[in-house]
Amino acid sequence: MAAPLDLIGRSGTGPRQAADWSRRQVILTDLRSVRGRAYPRVIGLMREPSWVLFEILLPFLATSAFVFVYRALDAPQEYVGFVVLGGALTAFWLNVIWMMANQLYWEKSQGNLELYFAAPMHFMSILFGMALGGMVMSSTRAATVLVIAGAVYGVAFSVDQWALLLGVFVLPLGALYGLGMVLASLFLVWGREAWHMGQALTEPVYFVSGLNFPVAHLGFLGALSVAFIPLATGLDAMRQLAFADAAFPAGTPPPGVEVLILAAMTVVSIVAARGMLIAMERRARRDGRLSVRWQ
Amino acid sequence: MSALAPAPPAAALFDAARTEGRGIADTLRTFAVATRLGWQLEANWTDPFLFFIYSVAKPVSSALILVVMLEVIGGPAGRAFRPFVVVGSALWSFVVSGIAGLAWSILEDRERYRVLKYVVISPSDFLTVLIGRGVARLGVGLAGVVITLVVGVVALGVPFDPGVVDWPVLLVVSVMGLASIVGLGLLMAGIVIQTRQESWSYPEAFAGALFLVTGAVFPLALLPAPVQALGLLTPLTWWIAGVREALFPGGPGSVGGEGSLYASVFGHANPGSAEIIGALLASGVVVTLAAVAVFRRSDRRARQAGLYDQTSGS
Repeated sequence: MAAPLDLIGRSGTGPRQAADWSRRQVILTDLRSVRGRAYPRVIGLMREPSWVLFEILLPFLATSAFVFVYRALDAPQEYVGFVVLGGALTAFWLNVIWMMANQLYWEKSQGNLELYFAAPMHFMSILFGMALGGMVMSSTRAATVLVIAGAVYGVAFSVDQWALLLGVFVLPLGALYGLGMVLASLFLVWGREAWHMGQALTEPVYFVSGLNFPVAHLGFLGALSVAFIPLATGLDAMRQLAFADAAFPAGTPPPGVEVLILAAMTVVSIVAARGMLIAMERRARRDGRLSVRWQ
Repeated sequence: MSALAPAPPAAALFDAARTEGRGIADTLRTFAVATRLGWQLEANWTDPFLFFIYSVAKPVSSALILVVMLEVIGGPAGRAFRPFVVVGSALWSFVVSGIAGLAWSILEDRERYRVLKYVVISPSDFLTVLIGRGVARLGVGLAGVVITLVVGVVALGVPFDPGVVDWPVLLVVSVMGLASIVGLGLLMAGIVIQTRQESWSYPEAFAGALFLVTGAVFPLALLPAPVQALGLLTPLTWWIAGVREALFPGGPGSVGGEGSLYASVFGHANPGSAEIIGALLASGVVVTLAAVAVFRRSDRRARQAGLYDQTSGS
């Protein structure tokens, strides 16, 4: 009888047995993959200090422009707070578009995508890792912009329900990054369209999400945004909770309702991402687009 | 040499003219090819209709954000301010296209298509190639400006009378503004040659910072005096002021006004067309020359350090 083989640290009587992993091995490998994919995003915060200038200071200046528009109009001070909060949350949206949705397109261009598919892990763990690292990265940026802009422009927050505010901060992240996973799956089969769609999904989404004003001012369009765009729902709920004394236009859903919408968005988007990923991977394999670069 | 040995072919003779190139003819050909390539990269990823929607969605949305802000706070009274923000917002999309266009050409060729090193060592002048590539994005940006202005006039009630437009001033400031934008784009291109990782976001972040100091969507007088001074040194401030003054003579301006640094220094509230053109020319020349110097220095350093041959995975 042949001696047991040690195939990359796993004992077995042959390659087939070594490849037959237990559920524990599968879960541990997937968790390691999540950590491995999140690692460069978290550690990158320390390794590339130029982001402090380009990702915090300059976006802060851009946000400031809208603050001055409101000042030119003698707007109530809470509107300055709305702009600051909106400006901070753009970090998440940009991260979702460029570092989630577009990421698989980059990975394909760089030749990493084939390696991901060849590696013995579930592809969703890569997406979860990207999302986790992205959340840490964007939270740092958003918090910094919020603190700096809040202090410079004298934003006075008025919070009555801290626990709900915390929940409303976390839930949109789940929904946003779930949406990012859906888009990443979709972009898997795209070429340059992915880059251009990323471009097209910034300002128009800012507008329909009410980045600088309560989204209810957009009427029916605003209602649609609250129903389908996590940025709009989360931002509106956070504004209502962070500026409890401010007057919001008629038609603004209460934060509790928006929490439920966000929870539903999170579940739906993650389930949809899984289904989309399987469908798109199958299609990409069939069409031979997984390794097509520079198109 | 044997009598039977063939005579050397004429093509093997050294042709000095080939190494020297054909001067301006080569430059123009390089520019034309680079522009065509840039346009193909920019536009042939989809059908023309979707490309049109894509090109105008961004600038129109930016203008709508500001228009809704005006409506929310100012109501009917805020509508007088609409031409100001629509023009500023429309022009700004052109600025972003110009500044990002050149820098992204560097990044695309280095990181995505990995051909930058071949472009650099080709006989074509690198600066000409780069500007040609950037022109395509400027074209897309220009389309966005025109459509946004049309939307502003047709749908947002911006009053526009071609009879009162100062066309000569509009032409002069547009040409000088374009040169300044290309200069700033070149500056960013010089910077991203040296930087890594997240360089893709740098041009838009830089444009976002300029957005604050150029009076694009609010009068400079609201800013602290040192920041106003910074804005007055920027050619884009004068370009936007010049276009506004040409399109809506006598309308609200962004440079001067009561309590502004401009008014306190020059003794009158708002600059006239001649002052705007003079300031735009002076600041534009300084910025463009500085940008060319920065780019040349960055290019030289990149060649010495082998940066064109490296990708950062960004």
